[in-house]
Amino acid sequence: MVITLAMARKMRDAAIKYAKEIGKLCSIAIVDDDGRLIALYRMDHAPIATADIAWSKAWTAAAFKLPSSEIYKFGNASMPGFGFNTANWNDRLTAIAGGLPIKDGDKVVGGIGVSGGTPEEDVIICQEAIKSTGIE
Amino acid sequence: MKEVTLEMAERMMDAGIRWARDVGKGFASVAVVDKGGAIIAAERMDGAAPLSTEVAIEKAWSVASFKTPGIMLARLMDPRNAGSILGDHGLGLIGRGKGRLAPIPGSIAITGDGGAMDVIGAIGCSGFPAGMGEVSDNTVCQAGIVALYD
Repeated sequence: MVITLAMARKMRDAAIKYAKEIGKLCSIAIVDDDGRLIALYRMDHAPIATADIAWSKAWTAAAFKLPSSEIYKFGNASMPGFGFNTANWNDRLTAIAGGLPIKDGDKVVGGIGVSGGTPEEDVIICQEAIKSTGIE
Repeated sequence: MKEVTLEMAERMMDAGIRWARDVGKGFASVAVVDKGGAIIAAERMDGAAPLSTEVAIEKAWSVASFKTPGIMLARLMDPRNAGSILGDHGLGLIGRGKGRLAPIPGSIAITGDGGAMDVIGAIGCSGFPAGMGEVSDNTVCQAGIVALYD
């Protein structure tokens, strides 16, 4: 299973539909399992920074195979991997919630990031988008 | 046209990608930015090179930033043009824009109602040969621009 552009567009539609319902302007980024950008969309008049933040969240989720919000765990000195959260590989690592890995069963096939709402809203928009693809 | 909307960007990218697939028989990424160079949308066609999305974004950014098409930037910044009026003006641009400046053909400005210098955004494409041939990044961009006027 790989993420196709058609799947990315379906996720875009679901994400934008939900964002409009809750009255938020956001950006949606979808990356493949290598963290490379497949598609990025910024809703009209959404702040310009949201596009880059969404991209970073998607990259982080795909690269670590974890929700971007869980990167904070690497800031705990008692955890293995302490310090990961501050090493900014690729200038894209972020610990902000709103990036989720896209999974086909146990396998991470890509990542999605949303920016524009509160972190909680961004996560829900990601979940709505992933749900629209019918995988997982 | 006063500004580039996401809907317009989607129409342009879809037309560019369809051209790339059906006519150009190749793989491409297309990106659209607003007048300030901020990303509106970018898409990578299935099978296109992973870096092409980022290159398309940077090409579009460069065009919006300079209100100058990629082919012109390429000529301005070509070291072989040093010593000519064109080259003397352009060589100082090399390395500008924190490394984002991509003086590569295959990127065109989107103009508004105010004429050629009323740049409201730009489209960039990457994946095909970058020249000005019939099957090139530039043609993909043209297919995108044409879709705006359909």
